[in-house]
Amino acid sequence: MKHVIVIGGGVAGMQCAAELAMQDIKVTLLEKKSDTGGKVRGWHKLFPTFTPADEVLSGLRHKMALTQNITTKTGCEATTITPQKVTLSTGESINCDAVVVATGYTLFDAHIKEEYGYGIYDNVITSADLEEMFNKDDVRMKDGSTPRRIAILHCVGSRDEKVCQRHCSKVCCVTGVKQAIELKQMYPAADVFNFYMDIRMFGPGYEEMYREAQQKYNVHFVRGRISEVSPNIDNRLQIKAEDTLTGRPLKMGVDMLVLLIGMKSNDHNASLKADCGLQCQNSGFMQPKDSFLHNTESNIEGIFYAGAITAPKNVAEALNDGATAALRVKDWLNKQ
Amino acid sequence: MTFFADFCIPFIVGEIILFTAIAIKYIMWLKGLPKSDKKLILKGAFSPRFFTATWEVIRESLLHHRIFKVNPLLGYMHMSLAFGWFLLISVGWIETIAYLGLKMIPLHGHVFFKYFIPLNEITAHKPMFDFVMDFLLLFVLSGVTLAWIKRMRSRAMGMKKTTQHISFDRIALTALWFVFPVRLLCESVTSAIYGGGSFLTGGIGTLLAAGINTEILHAIYEPLWWLYSCALGIFFVAMPFSRYMHIFTEIPLIFLRHFHLRPEAKEKSYDNFEVEACSRCGICIDPCQLQMQLGINDVQSVYFLRDRRKNRLQQKIANNCLMCGRCEQICPVGINLNTLRLNSRTSMRNIPNESRYKYLKNLDRSSGEGRVGYFAGCMTLLTPNTLSAMQRIFDAAREDVWWADKNGGVCCGRPLKLSGESDSAQKMIDYNKSLFYKHNITILVTSCPICLRIFNEEYKLDGIEVLHHSEYILRLIEQGRLHVNYSTEHTFTYHDPCELGRGSGIYNEPRAVIEAIGTLLEPSHSRKNALCCGSSLANTAINDSQQLTIARNVAEDLDNTGAETIVTACPLCKKAIARGATHQVKDLSEIVAANIL
Repeated sequence: MKHVIVIGGGVAGMQCAAELAMQDIKVTLLEKKSDTGGKVRGWHKLFPTFTPADEVLSGLRHKMALTQNITTKTGCEATTITPQKVTLSTGESINCDAVVVATGYTLFDAHIKEEYGYGIYDNVITSADLEEMFNKDDVRMKDGSTPRRIAILHCVGSRDEKVCQRHCSKVCCVTGVKQAIELKQMYPAADVFNFYMDIRMFGPGYEEMYREAQQKYNVHFVRGRISEVSPNIDNRLQIKAEDTLTGRPLKMGVDMLVLLIGMKSNDHNASLKADCGLQCQNSGFMQPKDSFLHNTESNIEGIFYAGAITAPKNVAEALNDGATAALRVKDWLNKQ
Repeated sequence: MTFFADFCIPFIVGEIILFTAIAIKYIMWLKGLPKSDKKLILKGAFSPRFFTATWEVIRESLLHHRIFKVNPLLGYMHMSLAFGWFLLISVGWIETIAYLGLKMIPLHGHVFFKYFIPLNEITAHKPMFDFVMDFLLLFVLSGVTLAWIKRMRSRAMGMKKTTQHISFDRIALTALWFVFPVRLLCESVTSAIYGGGSFLTGGIGTLLAAGINTEILHAIYEPLWWLYSCALGIFFVAMPFSRYMHIFTEIPLIFLRHFHLRPEAKEKSYDNFEVEACSRCGICIDPCQLQMQLGINDVQSVYFLRDRRKNRLQQKIANNCLMCGRCEQICPVGINLNTLRLNSRTSMRNIPNESRYKYLKNLDRSSGEGRVGYFAGCMTLLTPNTLSAMQRIFDAAREDVWWADKNGGVCCGRPLKLSGESDSAQKMIDYNKSLFYKHNITILVTSCPICLRIFNEEYKLDGIEVLHHSEYILRLIEQGRLHVNYSTEHTFTYHDPCELGRGSGIYNEPRAVIEAIGTLLEPSHSRKNALCCGSSLANTAINDSQQLTIARNVAEDLDNTGAETIVTACPLCKKAIARGATHQVKDLSEIVAANIL
């Protein structure tokens, strides 16, 4: 029986492991954290259908349990990777016949954009923090009161040369719309503003959701980035921006500011490049063999990619990637 | 004795053109000076400053003391050429007097003395002069040799890069290279035919006499003197129009500087003295980070001054400078490179837009009350950790503070000034100045060195003491109004912001504050030699990734100290370095606020 190591237990890695296992391939799934599920584990509902994230994860776990072929090792990190062997940070090494790297991405650290005051002012939170609040069903201000006006800022750590993140993180626009709707559902009386550069509604149902946010939920959209945030006299957040459609600077007092943090490539990718000979893109994401016919293969035969390791992707795309990578692995093992 | 031969003509023509050109230049420049500058000259000429200036002329124009300090080999090269040639001329003059007594001899009579008075025409030979003149010639020749080496392999002279010259400079340079070797040949052949000379010309003369037919020596005798005269003539003609004009410009410049003449925000006639005093030695090239990190090779001060002198300065050259002051700091002539670049920028794009500043009228967003005013500046408002740290420091010291711009204020004006819009900058200056006076503050604290610089240089705030927050915090600690926790476990390294260090001369205060909290580890480039973070407002030409390349290099230097925290005292530097560093980057106020007892 062939043995494949899948590194990263997020949705792409889980999908890939399950698909390989169903093809009678022995799989070892390595996960850094204490449990599988990756970033989706911290999410409340998924756009554009508001499907609970848990539903997707339990579906995947169920699929993985269909065979006995998967061994999941949590709390372990891979350091060096070759098609035949993966070495762990503990020093242990595992032999295999192929490797799938599905280590995903890192959330942009909002502290870096100091001008937005994350970690400085109480009611500046990130989109990930908001999901956590949704999960606890406890969206409130630090002092426990209800927010009456909320601003959501797009492109924090995306399309921003100043923090060396030139790429678009792709999913934040629609996340902003989704979270605005959820906030409005929770607090219908609140004013919710989205500050954006462009609204990129690329997926099925996204545009419809965007329209619904405006028509049904009366979410406001302002084209313009927020330049700085400061506390104002009554201890609310004062935001400064420019409405680029009217060409006027604007100031607004808000109770809560949500920063839609982007997807950053993992720092570890640099060592995959240096130690394992894998190719990186300028953005830091890994470079697949090509963008069309071999987009889940790496430049090294026997090492494959799945999910957001190669570019920002939404959950559905990551799941597709997991399945595709499994097929490519199987093809390759058959040729051996 | 008639001191004339046909071969003197090129020399005489050259000398006439040289002195005429210099005289015209001096007269034009001095005439163009504003009245106030002329008054300063009159006042200075009859003061002790005249003598200090004379001493500096000897030290710098002849001995090249400052170049020695930067690079001893280069210093020797410049000194042997300048001081050696000067001595050759003056000893040569004494020699003619010694032989012929005091009488009017034309300049070429001195220069071609060995031709006009060969040994056979001298009754009482004074070999002492032969020895001294040979020795001096050897001294100058050693400098010429080094100049050759510098041209061919600048690294051997301790310079990574040397200046790329234009045609006039090349002509003058080539002529200058020929002058002394040809002089050596002329005097050696003279010695071979007529005797005389000392260890150098005499020695070579003896060898020539032994090895070469006398007829041949006689045949090349005149042509060699022609060659010598031509080399000098060409050099003289090229001189006022090439970099060698610096020889005659540096001397008046030193006097004018001692008389307190300075370049200003707008171009003026005095600038000519500074611009033409540049010898294009190229010392400013190596320290330039644009050259070091980005390989930009045509914007450095030497090229900027050259283009400005030739009236062909382009915006893309003038704007491509960090104005970090690293070159100004090392310039052996002490030219005010940043001021000149700024007034060039002003001449090129100072078009104030009146309607843009209407909003300034009756605007006052300040808050609080106190004798101490705090001006955060735009960049501090974008790094609110610094602002809240200052708040905690003021609270701990129980200081009543007037907050000038906590709720948004008007820019200090320095960014506009740096981009050449000095009239627009003046509107900001006038606005802020009246705001400061309106609120009766006696001390103005800012945490932004960019603001600090313009407060000090342009605001002329009589009755208000301007302090950088590093100075203010140190004062609080020394007065016992602020107590901080000291621990040897905290290790810090410090990045000198350009505007604070080289720009405002504040190096010790931030270090003293850091040392009150923990251990300070110096990076390899610090104080006057500190690097620029790369995000300077002064440079509008390089792009973000080029800024980042510079920032990463600076951050590496700081990371290499192994200190747990990189401290700086400028919000712009903090943001820039944080992009490239692996260690945390904090403003000075943040580490103080975190350690208040």
